[in-house]
Amino acid sequence: MEHTKHLWRVLFILLLVAVAVVVGRHFVIPPSFGLQGFYRYDSLAEYAAKPVMHGGSASCAACHQDIAQQREQGKHQTVSCEVCHAPLALHAKEGAKTADMPLNRSVGLCAYCHQALKARPATMPQIDLREHLTKLEVITAKDDIPEGACVTCHDVHNPAMEQESPPEGNVSDANAVPATQ
Amino acid sequence: MQTQSPRPNNPSPEDARADVCRRDFVRQAAAAMSGVAIVVIMGESGAGASEEQAVGAASATRSSAYDPTKHRYIYLIDITKCIGCGACVRACEAENNVPPHYFRTWIERYMVSRTGADLTDSPNGGRDGFEPRVTGEDITKAFFVPKLCNHCSYSPCVQLCPVGASYRSPDGVILVDEKRCIGCGYCVQACPYGSRFLHPETHIASKCTLCYHRITKGLKPACVEACPVEARKFGDAEKVGDEVSELIATKAVGILKPELHTGANCYYVGLSQEVR
Repeated sequence: MEHTKHLWRVLFILLLVAVAVVVGRHFVIPPSFGLQGFYRYDSLAEYAAKPVMHGGSASCAACHQDIAQQREQGKHQTVSCEVCHAPLALHAKEGAKTADMPLNRSVGLCAYCHQALKARPATMPQIDLREHLTKLEVITAKDDIPEGACVTCHDVHNPAMEQESPPEGNVSDANAVPATQ
Repeated sequence: MQTQSPRPNNPSPEDARADVCRRDFVRQAAAAMSGVAIVVIMGESGAGASEEQAVGAASATRSSAYDPTKHRYIYLIDITKCIGCGACVRACEAENNVPPHYFRTWIERYMVSRTGADLTDSPNGGRDGFEPRVTGEDITKAFFVPKLCNHCSYSPCVQLCPVGASYRSPDGVILVDEKRCIGCGYCVQACPYGSRFLHPETHIASKCTLCYHRITKGLKPACVEACPVEARKFGDAEKVGDEVSELIATKAVGILKPELHTGANCYYVGLSQEVR
């Protein structure tokens, strides 16, 4: 048994490796890694903790009940407030107003949904804006489309018109959008 | 002739001492190391137990009694309803702070002509809506296809992530561990749906999270919340009487690239064979 010391040497080296693995593992692998699979389980909680920006229409109705009711009765009832306005988080926090809600009265905002496009389902109410405005004699064929052209006649919260004609008098004064502040 | 051996048979007292010392050293070192190993292993198992408790506490507190193993999220898109307004893309951008010109969800416009010309477009991902387009072709059908991560059951991106940063959560959401991702971009190349990108500032992989911070609180993803025509629907296959599960079970639905067997969990109503 004079050569057993070779065996001991090998065993000693193996033991060293085992210890190095156990100690190294502790520093390299983050806690919660492998609890549910080959990933860090704490990452889920980190995602869940991110801030919510959109509050939904119900959260708007808490303060702006009159406008919410208007919307509920009209054809825009399926359009969430924050689609045309901005996310709740930019306007209010825990029920208190933190900043003015930006208002977009541009033609482009309406055109997102109502510009006539071949790819849109036929059931969607859509118009060729220039044709619509010239037919109603709001503009002539040469004019540029004014920025607030749609909201001049339509109430954005309940947009259906009873009659297809522009209101009497100066159209720019007939801004139907009520102040929401 | 007597030669002076460099190592005499009778070792000098110094040599003998050296031999003993080595043997003793090995013995003592082995004993010491095994002692250390036992201490470390004990410490490991002890620390492991306390970590598990900490994780359990964290998952319990992150959302009141939210258990990810009790949900399996699914998504349904109705192409026949989509008007291509881009509200979903803008909502996603606002909710998730998506950098400009990168998209976690986007809309493609397909225009199919009799000549078979490729007329598909997606200007700025549909974020700014679509303009009317004069093509000079005989368009026989046209439609919008919203796209997002399909949260595949057997997703290629998770399979090849070398560091375990991409994963599928117990509730069926493909996520990227932002602290673990090294930004190698393999997953971006692997995704057959083009749903991932490397974030231009953080340089790590970014993608749709199904608004994980919302759905764990019982809210809908921002894109579903924003859709004015209910073309996007969000459901939970584990919930009894779930509307989306019912629609998938009873209606004609399809998934994108079924030939790749990714187990996509975004279903489409009105899917046409031109959609890629």
